[in-house]
Amino acid sequence: MSLKINPSFVEKVLTRFIRDELSKHGFRKGVLGLSGGLDSAVCAALAARALGPRNVLGLVMPYGSSSSADVRDAGKVGRWLGIRTRTIDIAPQVDPYFDAHPTASRVLRGNKMARERMSILYDYSAREKALILGTSNKTELLIGYGTIHGDMACAVNPMGDLYKTQVRQLARHFGVPPSILRKAPTAGLWAGQTDEQEIGLSYAELDEILERLVERRMTVRDLVESGFRRKTVERVTAMIRNSEFKRKLPPIAKLSPRSVGHDFLYPYDWGK
Amino acid sequence: MRVALAQIAPRLGDVARNLDLHLEYIDKARRKKADLIVFPELSLTGYTLKDLAGEVALDPATDARFRKILARAKGLSVVLGFMEESPAEKGLFYNAAAFVSDGKLLHVHRKVYLPTNGLFEEAKFFAQGREFRVFPAPFGRAGLMICRDFLHYGAGYVLFAGGADVIIVISAAPGRGVGGGEAFGTSRMWELMGEAMSYFSTAFVIYVNRVGVEDGVSFAGGSFIYGPGGRLLARAADIDPELLVHSIDLRAVREARVHWLFKRDEKPEVVLRSLERVVRVPED
Repeated sequence: MSLKINPSFVEKVLTRFIRDELSKHGFRKGVLGLSGGLDSAVCAALAARALGPRNVLGLVMPYGSSSSADVRDAGKVGRWLGIRTRTIDIAPQVDPYFDAHPTASRVLRGNKMARERMSILYDYSAREKALILGTSNKTELLIGYGTIHGDMACAVNPMGDLYKTQVRQLARHFGVPPSILRKAPTAGLWAGQTDEQEIGLSYAELDEILERLVERRMTVRDLVESGFRRKTVERVTAMIRNSEFKRKLPPIAKLSPRSVGHDFLYPYDWGK
Repeated sequence: MRVALAQIAPRLGDVARNLDLHLEYIDKARRKKADLIVFPELSLTGYTLKDLAGEVALDPATDARFRKILARAKGLSVVLGFMEESPAEKGLFYNAAAFVSDGKLLHVHRKVYLPTNGLFEEAKFFAQGREFRVFPAPFGRAGLMICRDFLHYGAGYVLFAGGADVIIVISAAPGRGVGGGEAFGTSRMWELMGEAMSYFSTAFVIYVNRVGVEDGVSFAGGSFIYGPGGRLLARAADIDPELLVHSIDLRAVREARVHWLFKRDEKPEVVLRSLERVVRVPED
């Protein structure tokens, strides 16, 4: 087991997944948020190949400055793939709220912005009869590096079983524009933020740890014995444990013999 | 004999639609002069059933939809997967395989080994079968297994000891592992067993796996036929649907058994006595 993937086979499986999942539920089109980053570029490339470029809409949703490097990169992805794009400035939805409820917390502001983007995606999903393609990767899902009901919200997620370093392999396979491949990953919660700075670990090291903990079911002790720093590994396991709530539907208080979420158990693709 | 491998993607919980798909494939197979068509595990219902199990279960002896398959199976044999509930065992839902030939139901196998770990939940919803048995098919002696049954070599052994000429395995095996070639890593596991079993049982092994996606899980396809002596005769695509028709020569069983005397020299009574001891005093 390692982090190396065969990108052409992964492409085949994931494009089939997107096509299958959308058509089963009566959709031909997909919509996704284009941040100008790597994950959304790869997701857009998968969607374009699965559905045809004209059936993919990329929403570019900057806060204010629509001339930033990220917006330019998002446009570059759109042109590279030939998909439709639309730019919507979210400042008018965010500013009045924080004018009335001021905060100095960058995290609060960032989360609010992620949820405004989500509300736009769901609106466009209905307008365009397009399902929302999620762009959260396995690394983010495992450590909970995402806004619940924000960027984590989607209808289908083709990326969620790929670690960040595997998304990068897929990006090279697709030939993602170099400026996007090169730049530091960021959640874009505030200007100048980078993921690796905020998490305090490089994705390369984080994925090496996660792969051992998750795929190989190694213990903290196993990892320390094979040369990882105990403090780092323990921090990663704590991030995993403390973010389980983001990966689950909320618990429902059980009262009846057969309850939603407990023993009323049907497949997602019921009758599809 | 011509064998058709129906590597399909059933619709989850939609028996009416899947019935039409079966009838369509049976007709196609007949046009291609097939003597036998094999569908995958739970082909009539889809795999990830959960609480749907009881809602799609049927009794093959009386069900009108099943009779349509019997009626269509004229001049050829059909193996299909379904959820079985018999009047004698109300409320027990078996993951079952039926062998149908020339309008008659010849054999039903109920899956014995129900995977219940990780992404598998079968024993939570399904009742467990209790027998492997070889039965006379129009083309020779045959035995059925369902998916995980195949990976427990005691099951294959019983069919071998029972004199099966053709071992038929129907499957809904999800693909896992994308670090290697142009197929899921797990596909190799099934081929390895197919190769070994056909080699040492000197029988044909026909394996039909499904394709399609259910709840995010992709089924791997890669159906195959191995001839006696571990010869790969046909292999269907990975993850893509396909109807693969291939001619096999059943005389190969005799040829292999003249050459390799595994069947002649087999001693099931010794195995049985030894197993009885294992079961009685497992820590001995």
